[in-house]
Amino acid sequence: MAEKKGMSRRDFFKGAAIGVMGGTFLGMGVYSYSPLRKAFFPKIERKMADIGVVKSLKVTNISETSWFKNATLMSDIKNAGGLLVNQYSYNWPPFGDGKGLGKGSYESGIAKIRHLLPNNLDEAWEVTKRLSVSPDNAGGFSALLEVVELNGRKRKFLLDSGWSYKWMNESFKREGIDQMLKNNEIEGIIISHEHFDHFWGIPVTYKYAPNITTYYPEGFYPEGLDYIKASGHKGRLVKMKQGLNSIIPGVATFNFPVPIICRVYGEQSIYVNVKDHGLVSITGCCHFGIIQFSETAYREIAYEKNQLYGIYGGLHISPFEDWDPKYDDLVISLGKYGFQKIGCNHCTGILCAKKFVERGYPVQRGTARNRSADPVYLGNGDKIGFGIDV
Amino acid sequence: MEKFGAGYLEERKLVPRWPQPIPAIVSLVLTMVVFYITWWLFQDPRGWLRMYTPYVGYMYTRWWLIVLIWMVYIFNYWPFRRSWVEKTHPLLKGAILTTISVFILLVLIKGFFEMLLGNFGIAYFNPERLKALGLTEFFSLEYSALACLMFAAIASWMSPAWIVACEERPWQDLNQPAKGVSILVMTFFLSTLIFFMTMHSHMGILYYPWQYFTSIAPPYWENFAGTVSGNFHVAWIMCCTVMVWTVETIWERFPFKLIKTDWLRRITAFFGIIAFAFAMFFFLYFAQELTWGQAIRGTRLINAPDWRWLHVGEMAVFFLLPAIFITFYCGNWPKRFSLPVNVLIRTAITIVAAALLYILYYKFSHDFLGTQKGFMHEQQFPMIPTIWLINIWLAHHWFMDNWPGWKMVPKTAEEMKKDHAAEKAIVDDVRWSPVLGVGLIVGAVLGIALYFAIVFILPWLYKVINILPK
Repeated sequence: MAEKKGMSRRDFFKGAAIGVMGGTFLGMGVYSYSPLRKAFFPKIERKMADIGVVKSLKVTNISETSWFKNATLMSDIKNAGGLLVNQYSYNWPPFGDGKGLGKGSYESGIAKIRHLLPNNLDEAWEVTKRLSVSPDNAGGFSALLEVVELNGRKRKFLLDSGWSYKWMNESFKREGIDQMLKNNEIEGIIISHEHFDHFWGIPVTYKYAPNITTYYPEGFYPEGLDYIKASGHKGRLVKMKQGLNSIIPGVATFNFPVPIICRVYGEQSIYVNVKDHGLVSITGCCHFGIIQFSETAYREIAYEKNQLYGIYGGLHISPFEDWDPKYDDLVISLGKYGFQKIGCNHCTGILCAKKFVERGYPVQRGTARNRSADPVYLGNGDKIGFGIDV
Repeated sequence: MEKFGAGYLEERKLVPRWPQPIPAIVSLVLTMVVFYITWWLFQDPRGWLRMYTPYVGYMYTRWWLIVLIWMVYIFNYWPFRRSWVEKTHPLLKGAILTTISVFILLVLIKGFFEMLLGNFGIAYFNPERLKALGLTEFFSLEYSALACLMFAAIASWMSPAWIVACEERPWQDLNQPAKGVSILVMTFFLSTLIFFMTMHSHMGILYYPWQYFTSIAPPYWENFAGTVSGNFHVAWIMCCTVMVWTVETIWERFPFKLIKTDWLRRITAFFGIIAFAFAMFFFLYFAQELTWGQAIRGTRLINAPDWRWLHVGEMAVFFLLPAIFITFYCGNWPKRFSLPVNVLIRTAITIVAAALLYILYYKFSHDFLGTQKGFMHEQQFPMIPTIWLINIWLAHHWFMDNWPGWKMVPKTAEEMKKDHAAEKAIVDDVRWSPVLGVGLIVGAVLGIALYFAIVFILPWLYKVINILPK
């Protein structure tokens, strides 16, 4: 009798074990991707943060050519070990130490030029040229933002400071940025992220305006923070935390904690709310994606006419003229967001810009001057206005 | 090669040299040391060869896994004699067999994919052809490696599936190498077929303009998956791979081995594994929606559908690690209960261990592997280190008989007989009875309740654990 009872209990547990696994797998298979699952998703509540409004925004493309030959850059990246290698170890300028590709470090590189920053940049560049890999391939990304407030006051900011000291100095002079910095007309520089082509040219800005307020995104590595100091910065240094950060009324940044190639972490981009037009997104590289940036705007802030109006900057789609089907997801989806003026360039990639044009998106053509490669998007020296004609 | 009609793995007895858990701990420590050294030598972006570019290292990792499966599961150590496999010191045997596996790997990648297929069939398998067409050297290598590794994803499911589910039919009675070649050709054929139906469109739209005349563009899964990326298929195929090995290891081929009719068992096992895999596939996607919100098409990184699908496969591999460890190094503990209860307990342990591993991986791995913190990085694939570790475990278990924690002793005819009798008793023990039926219903209700309980607490759990604090 006891044996029979034992058997029954054992049989029950056998059945129960099979049932538990079967029931769980049944739930997983039938419910998990059914439309019913959406009952578990929280409703999206818009926060509608008020970032203020500006009258207009003008953007001058100081330089969008971060490097001049894709093949050279990609060959360096390949031979150094790929896209996950720490950018400070590539032995690219200005951190060349003469040891060769992939064998450098921030410490040994900066030691060669620290004493020359920021006032002897020509000499620093000559020194680093001798010690670095592919110095002539370095360019840089930088843009000037001119915001007109509702009361008519004009305020200027730099977005990024490029890479090559030589190229950025020439580009600054070409657009008159050097004089604006000297005259303290530009009140701040917003560093989008720590990548070589956006940040390593920072001494060129500090050469003309060492006291300029510098906004950098949380996530910088110790090397980057030391480089700001080594480059002669004496002004206010503002760490922009993850999430929304106000700059002036109508202008705010949003910092995303994202891991990025070449061992960089975190990137911020800029929202400018233009009166009677809508929201303009200004990006350095936009590694988190322009649709993520737009969706974040929808969730976080209030903007004019509830309209996503314009874009300027790199959209990080095919920076190396590479491709992936997931980029097509972006190309296909972007149309739904209703942007009216797209001033893309830089790491958006020429191929991507062509795909945008093929889909009929309002991409602003450029002039392909000053070493920009293709008129399909805004090139070096080109300008774009939002709420203002340029 | 066979002594008693089964393969070497079934006909060997691994005797622990010390009481458990010492052999398991020794094996874990030893294989982790080997993992870290080899990681630094071959993969680490700070290390020597820096193959984690990422696709080149990823491709070799995945194909090495398949070569190991071919050598052991399909060819049963052929052309080596059984006496050599039994008598050679595990270190020497491991060194020789591993070297051969690497040689086969190189012949396969360089010879078959790049030279043969890439020169006489499909350009995207050969980096030199892509370079000649104007791509940079870096992306030529990456794209061709991507094509090869997408093929590998399918082969890593099909190769063991033919053994585990189809029980080597209809070639079970052939001698080696005829049996191995037959199974290899069949699984390779099926892999090729599935590759064309799942991955080829991905490769077709990777190049500009979309290759409308040679691939389906946009691909047929676009609306269902919310992406045109082939990662959608990588996800369920990876789940199939994980399920094959789950069934083979901690499930001991349960529940399929309960089916007495041979042909029905094999067919049910083959498609049943796919069904279990799809349940896992959908659930792991849903789990991400519950923690990170719904995916938004066109976004990058963590909210992109293509990455979410890929991450389904990445999450699935975390389950494979504890499942393999339990079988290889813990003697498939526990064994004292009935088969379904043993399987349930092992599955529960595997799930908890996989969740812990996942948390630990994302919390700490960037400090050791030369990678960056964060769940999503476009150039980081947790499948590389996880499969790399699995490869090392496979080489250790299959080529080295778990040395030094265990000693290999060939089973006698008597022991083989006993094994078969015990196996029959285990299967016969699970018989239908009304009480079992009641248990089954109660269990099914509990299982469904458990599913919804997990769905309900996942978002809360994710917030509480806070894997990557700000």
